[in-house]
Amino acid sequence: MDKNFAARRRRELMIAGCLAAVAALVPLFVKDVYVQNIMVLTLMYAALSQSWNILSGYCGQISLGHALYFGLGAYATALLFTKFGVLPWFGMLSGGLISALIAMALGYPCFRLRGHYFVIATIVIAEIALLLFQNWNWAGAALGIDIPVRRDSWLTFQFTRSKLPYFYFALVLAAIAWFVTWWLEDSKWGYWWRAVKDNPDAAESLGVVVFNSKMGAAAVSAFLTAVGGGFYAQFVSYIDPESVMGFQFSLLMALPAVLGGIGTLWGPMLGAVILIPLTELTRSFIGGSGRGVDLIVYGTLIVLISLAQPQGLIELFSRRRKAVAP
Amino acid sequence: MTALLETRGVTQRFSGLVANSDVSISVGRGEIVGLIGPNGAGKSTMFNLIAGVMRPTEGSIWFDGEDVTRMPAAERCQRGIGRTFQVVKSFETMSVIDNVIVGALVRTTTMREARRKAHEVLEFAGLAARADVLASQLIPSEKRRLEVARALATQPKLLLLDEVLTGLTPIEAQTGVDLVRRVRETGVTVLMVEHVMEIVMPLVDRAIVLDLGKVLVEGSPKDVVRNPKVITAYLGDRHAVGA
Repeated sequence: MDKNFAARRRRELMIAGCLAAVAALVPLFVKDVYVQNIMVLTLMYAALSQSWNILSGYCGQISLGHALYFGLGAYATALLFTKFGVLPWFGMLSGGLISALIAMALGYPCFRLRGHYFVIATIVIAEIALLLFQNWNWAGAALGIDIPVRRDSWLTFQFTRSKLPYFYFALVLAAIAWFVTWWLEDSKWGYWWRAVKDNPDAAESLGVVVFNSKMGAAAVSAFLTAVGGGFYAQFVSYIDPESVMGFQFSLLMALPAVLGGIGTLWGPMLGAVILIPLTELTRSFIGGSGRGVDLIVYGTLIVLISLAQPQGLIELFSRRRKAVAP
Repeated sequence: MTALLETRGVTQRFSGLVANSDVSISVGRGEIVGLIGPNGAGKSTMFNLIAGVMRPTEGSIWFDGEDVTRMPAAERCQRGIGRTFQVVKSFETMSVIDNVIVGALVRTTTMREARRKAHEVLEFAGLAARADVLASQLIPSEKRRLEVARALATQPKLLLLDEVLTGLTPIEAQTGVDLVRRVRETGVTVLMVEHVMEIVMPLVDRAIVLDLGKVLVEGSPKDVVRNPKVITAYLGDRHAVGA
């Protein structure tokens, strides 16, 4: 039985490796810049949703305020670069660390709340942060920050001529988020988180310090989300509060995981691969003319998918596997 | 040698209601002690106080020579108090083996060791064949055994069993009784709350009867069941006459 388990873990790692390799080859065949742009966003949201999944999926603390960490990462990177000339690489790391600290500081009061009250708190806190940034003059207030464009360089992580560097960075980011999840899944933390999600009282009786588990999950989740935010700032090279800290980002991080399979290793990836191209395509093909038609189509599709597969699309795969197994 | 568990003058009030009043009991090492009493006697409250779910209004709780009155539940588990829940609280989305691994992780940091321990405990509890099934798919009696297995995986010195034998079929209950006996043989002290006297009495070394939040009678099972006060508490005054 142990051998089966170890074999399954190894197989997951190999599948992920193969998928990453295949994904890395795609730009060789897809030269269209518009499609490449969608691919970058898809990978970014895959990474973000995977990060969200750690706190909300595994540990069960549903957050609809992750835009806060995304925005903090974006602002940390942009501000450090434009005001102090700190390279984005360090900017992303500092953004991650700042977010992790803030996540723990916020978790301290919020993790005492249960269920819906926690969700509401996350929404409200992110909205407060949005308002603060809209009025923070040093950080550009509502006008935001224009990141000055210099030569294409990996050092400053700026590329005006090609999307490919962004694509590969987003791919690495998604791979890292997946790998961290994979690694944590079979660790003390992974087991603690799932126990906390399923039944905090029982977890506590088995020596799980529930509060610490939540804090750990929040820190890891916020860190990875903020790194994604830092990447986004470099990718679009202009940020303002609404475009990096708006509520829609919180939703766009949660939706792929929920649709693909919340609290599963592959759910966020699968969800992002389906959802993000869908978002972009409905917007460009049926958006524009009648306002909101794209959103109606988009919303309908999400409703249909969730009705057909309430456990997440990943269930389609696991059911087939079960049928094959003796 | 000092008792493994000792409560000293424990009182618990819920606003106006007194659930336990001045309860002083002790459980010696290696004993199986039954905590019994009619509905509303304060058994569950007492149990939760010992497990660390809440803090008593007055009095203190000592475990293994240490005052644990203010210690949170997780820390008590680390010190060696394992418990089950009356209403089973399995981790429903996790497999049976994963449920037990959570418990095993208190004593080890390596996953390999936790997994090995979990398999060992499942074997002991007779759930080895169900290791890879989701906990939500177990039948009620299996869920009870999972509760015990999970608590055993924490390698407790004292195992608190909250009505693990109640509501089972006679055969299932017998399996449960055997399991508790085997647990004791491994050197674990057991304190069990039970409602059904005829199941507990043959199993325990000593019984403590609670009534209206106080210790009514304490002694060997044989003496306790004959005690008129106990009969009165369970059946009312009429039946005690002439007993």
